[in-house]
Amino acid sequence: MLDAFILSLWEEFGLWEELAQAGSSLFALDKRVSLVYLVSAFAFAAIVLWVRYGKAGLQRSYQYFSWRTWWHPSARTDYGLWLANRLLLALLIPKTLAKSLWVSWLFFFWQEQGLTSLELGWSDTAVVLCFTLCYFLLDDFSRFFVHWCMHKIPFLWAFHQVHHSARVLTPFTVFRTHPVEGVIFFLRSLLVQSLIISLFLVMFPHQVSLMQIFGVLITTFIFNLLGANLRHSGVALSYGNKIEKWFISPAQHQVHHSCAKHHYDRNFGVVLAVWDRLFGSFCYGDDKQILQYGTNQPIDRLGPWGQWIMPFKSLLSILNVVHNVVHIASWMINKIPVNKPVFFRIIKKVYPMNEQNSVDETSSRKQK
Amino acid sequence: MKKTLLGLCVAFSLNAVAEQDYAFGVTLKGYKGEATSSVSYGGQIARHVLHDSLKKAVAKGDVELMLSYLSSKDEGRKILSPVSKTGFPVKQTTVDALSKGKNLLSSAYDGVITGWPGNPTGQELLEQLVALAGATEDGYDPVNGYDYIQLVSKFTMGAVFYNRAVNHYLEEKLEAGKYPNDKPYKNKKNVSYTGKEHVWDEAFGYFGAPAHGLSLTPKEVVQITKQKPAALVKADANGDGVVDLKSEMAFAHAYYAASVDASGGTDYFHTIMKAFVEGRKVITAANGKKLTSEQLSKVKAYAATIAQAWQQVIAEAAYKYAGSVYSDLEKIAIIEESNGDMDKAYRNYVKHWGELKGFALALEAAGRDLGSTQANLDRLIGFSPVLFGNTQVLAKDGDGGFIQGKAADMQAYKLNMIKTQNLLAKAFDLKAKLNDRTAGMQAVLEQIEEAGKSAEND
Repeated sequence: MLDAFILSLWEEFGLWEELAQAGSSLFALDKRVSLVYLVSAFAFAAIVLWVRYGKAGLQRSYQYFSWRTWWHPSARTDYGLWLANRLLLALLIPKTLAKSLWVSWLFFFWQEQGLTSLELGWSDTAVVLCFTLCYFLLDDFSRFFVHWCMHKIPFLWAFHQVHHSARVLTPFTVFRTHPVEGVIFFLRSLLVQSLIISLFLVMFPHQVSLMQIFGVLITTFIFNLLGANLRHSGVALSYGNKIEKWFISPAQHQVHHSCAKHHYDRNFGVVLAVWDRLFGSFCYGDDKQILQYGTNQPIDRLGPWGQWIMPFKSLLSILNVVHNVVHIASWMINKIPVNKPVFFRIIKKVYPMNEQNSVDETSSRKQK
Repeated sequence: MKKTLLGLCVAFSLNAVAEQDYAFGVTLKGYKGEATSSVSYGGQIARHVLHDSLKKAVAKGDVELMLSYLSSKDEGRKILSPVSKTGFPVKQTTVDALSKGKNLLSSAYDGVITGWPGNPTGQELLEQLVALAGATEDGYDPVNGYDYIQLVSKFTMGAVFYNRAVNHYLEEKLEAGKYPNDKPYKNKKNVSYTGKEHVWDEAFGYFGAPAHGLSLTPKEVVQITKQKPAALVKADANGDGVVDLKSEMAFAHAYYAASVDASGGTDYFHTIMKAFVEGRKVITAANGKKLTSEQLSKVKAYAATIAQAWQQVIAEAAYKYAGSVYSDLEKIAIIEESNGDMDKAYRNYVKHWGELKGFALALEAAGRDLGSTQANLDRLIGFSPVLFGNTQVLAKDGDGGFIQGKAADMQAYKLNMIKTQNLLAKAFDLKAKLNDRTAGMQAVLEQIEEAGKSAEND
């Protein structure tokens, strides 16, 4: 009976198809792990390092293919998570949750608020350029900001630590993600895309389109072609200080993964480095950097299943801490006879037991 | 010698340019009659004429007259439309001149229609609509927001023509072993056509295109349906001075296909027309023998092309009218603000809603599995337009009367029209997208990759 249930679940949610599609990522130009980009990343690294350091540089680029890295237990966990997440997210994120419904609603909402076509007389090309640029900027910033939050908010870090538990980096580490994080990424893209598309459609009706190459957003294509896969790889490649001020290099992202304390919370950016400079989290990379990766926590050595479970354990301990803090705060509220701010009054409402306790305490003292 | 060569070249190039008409010789083995053509679809053209006449009858609010075109098979029925106009004479004046004993109802879809209160079958719905239209003066019910002229017409085209062609002739009747090509149709005596030939021809008849459709531009086809005097020369293929409804007129979805193409730059009309001609060529080439499995699969591929494009044409029409309903609601809001006369704007709103609903219901009426698209279309469009006071028809009571209830804000119903357009564009892969009120949303959405599937981390 269980067999039949599982089988029907597989068929109902098209899970075989999901696995097949995961495999097809290797051939799809809109996926970073497409074979084209995997090869182009190596070619890019090999050429740059050869120009910079000659034969020694070329040899350094061979690190990209290191079997020890690609078959490291940490890398195997990456592959496991890639497939397992694909299946779970097929269940968690309903395919019918159409982006078009959100875009339609927002598109209508802006018009009801009085926003209309700007009628600037721009050519289609100008609108496409402007839309593509705005889309890229907003998308890149929102990725940066969500990533920043992942590190700064303990509740989110509990899930993001999965990505940072990688002890070696391979291009497939891009998929080393907790499913909860996957859902957050989905919501981010839903929000950003709905906002920008709906606004542009109202302001420039019938002119909005993205600049694409081979059906892929032009910026994504260039980013992937020029070695996006090196970010998660054993090859350290810096762009040099001048460029790194503007664009995050593979070496800079590897710094982000470094477990050295002085590298904590550095380089959250995806494509642009300007966000990190604005948020004070910028750090240069170096071709010669030698880094250790991971979190130095037990999660580093867990397999896919452990990676799924551990964040919830971390979350529980965070909640425990929060609970204790609130407890202490509520105790203090009852001790300190001042005009209490609203926040404390809310806590009192949530924790009425303490008041009861204090009453009991008073009464017991009185009895004494 | 030069002249001969030149002549040959001209003849060859003319031959290459001239489009094939829907005309085919007799291939039936053992046929001893005098007919030189195996093409026959008079019964289908009769139903086109019944539909056009029914539409006129609904506009008169005369229920007896409506029923005579919907369900009776009486002799002597006059053609109410299309009739001769100045500069555009029509050959036939009675339905019998096309085919005797035909009606619309018995050919209508007998599956359930979920988009109408009470879940009627297609046939029941047609009967209900005609009865309801009979209770009005001119087919217009402002209380519930129904334009029966549009509802009856658009739904009939789907439930009869589209359904019979796509669901029957181009599907179940095309199967190997049914209506064989080495025997006369239904083993009838004195017919000049084989089983498969006639099945294919009947489907073509329901499409409603003139036999010389491939030689016409979409704009010309539209002009022919509208009986513009200037189009007479284009319609009158045999040059006898009158338009033969049997082979020279454009009806129903052939008109809508051409109309969408003429405005939207698409190619639905010629795609369907060409597939009919090419499919018939394959059947004719079998020369009165059973179709081989290879020939049959070729014919089925043409049938699939026709079915898909035909469905797209209906969806394109629904798309266009969803845009019209949106515009009508905008106009109503402006008139409301200025306290102007609402009658005309409301009448247009009800008319366009009737067209939208009629086409949406037509999509349901051919046994195609539309999946969630059908449910979403039903919900978004509703059982009636949103009326003044923000009410809408929600159900039917035991006496068959409509029950109205609270609905979304009348202006918020515009959002449903945007969603309807997006849904239609996506579900049926629409190209023309006339009256687009989404500002080209679907195309942009298609460009944006589906997020959240592989959970990529940066």
